[in-house]
Amino acid sequence: MIVSLASLGLGLVVGYLGQRSRMCSIGGLRDFVLVRDTGLLKGAGALLVAAWVGFGVARIINGSAGHGLIAAGTTPSGLRAVVAIALGAVVLGFFATLSGACPLRQHVLAGQGRVGAWSFLAGFYLAAVVYTSWIEPSIGSWVL
Amino acid sequence: MTAGTGAATTGREGVEANIGARLGRWARSAVVYGIVTATLAVVVGEWLDVSPPAAYGLCSACHGRDLADWVLNNVEGKHLFVTAAGAGWPLLTVVGLVIGSFLAARRNGEYGSINIGGNVRQFGLGAVVMGAALFVGGCPTRIIIRSGYGDLAGLLALGGVAAGIVAATLSMRWMARR
Repeated sequence: MIVSLASLGLGLVVGYLGQRSRMCSIGGLRDFVLVRDTGLLKGAGALLVAAWVGFGVARIINGSAGHGLIAAGTTPSGLRAVVAIALGAVVLGFFATLSGACPLRQHVLAGQGRVGAWSFLAGFYLAAVVYTSWIEPSIGSWVL
Repeated sequence: MTAGTGAATTGREGVEANIGARLGRWARSAVVYGIVTATLAVVVGEWLDVSPPAAYGLCSACHGRDLADWVLNNVEGKHLFVTAAGAGWPLLTVVGLVIGSFLAARRNGEYGSINIGGNVRQFGLGAVVMGAALFVGGCPTRIIIRSGYGDLAGLLALGGVAAGIVAATLSMRWMARR
């Protein structure tokens, strides 16, 4: 119950702010490479720094600060996992840039009434079901 | 006397209008978005049960996967993979994202059905992006949040996504200039 309400509230706030600020987590670097515009890149940097500070504060409040502010969560083990994650991330960044926006921004564009974003989301959720039905059981999942 | 109260009300209205304008300006700032989003993601992930996996407060790909699989599991009786956070009650982040953006667009007169074509291409790109995002463990936004959590896999994925963005941007510019 709390999970549903908390995630719905989070989505509402982030969706509202995301529509107003036109924020996109891949658009920052794209705009910087294309036209040297740093507005969205600053937003991505603020997200990273605020998440770092926020998790540090949460560790202090929860009393698990013994590991220092940065404690590794999951660590890719072995060269194969490192190469697989790096390659998968390159593919993710490449095709997300071709589609014009990161997945979160596509949700915001869909709420704004963009038809292309709705067809993006159709492929998105179809692929989610296909991935968890057939691809994930065969390769296994080392990260969540 | 009446002039005085009149001046006081206009003064208060002026202050309220000032606060409204300032809030509207802040809402348009990407830096404010980053700070608010990261803070909410930490709070929701640490104290409002949207955990395990760690740093799971906000992710458009994983939460969408959890919601789609939850619906299929409960309607069709399948046994697809759902993370522990979204197994009991569904994660409604993606629904909230679309509704929040719709409300913002309606409130500010930016809502409009726009079709710029290329929908089949977007459909295919969406499928590829979802597959890659589930493979590396999160959409770009959650990769940034995981990097802030101190996750080495997240940092590695962040570097890979950055390389992919630069490669795609440069290749698009090269295609456009050719």
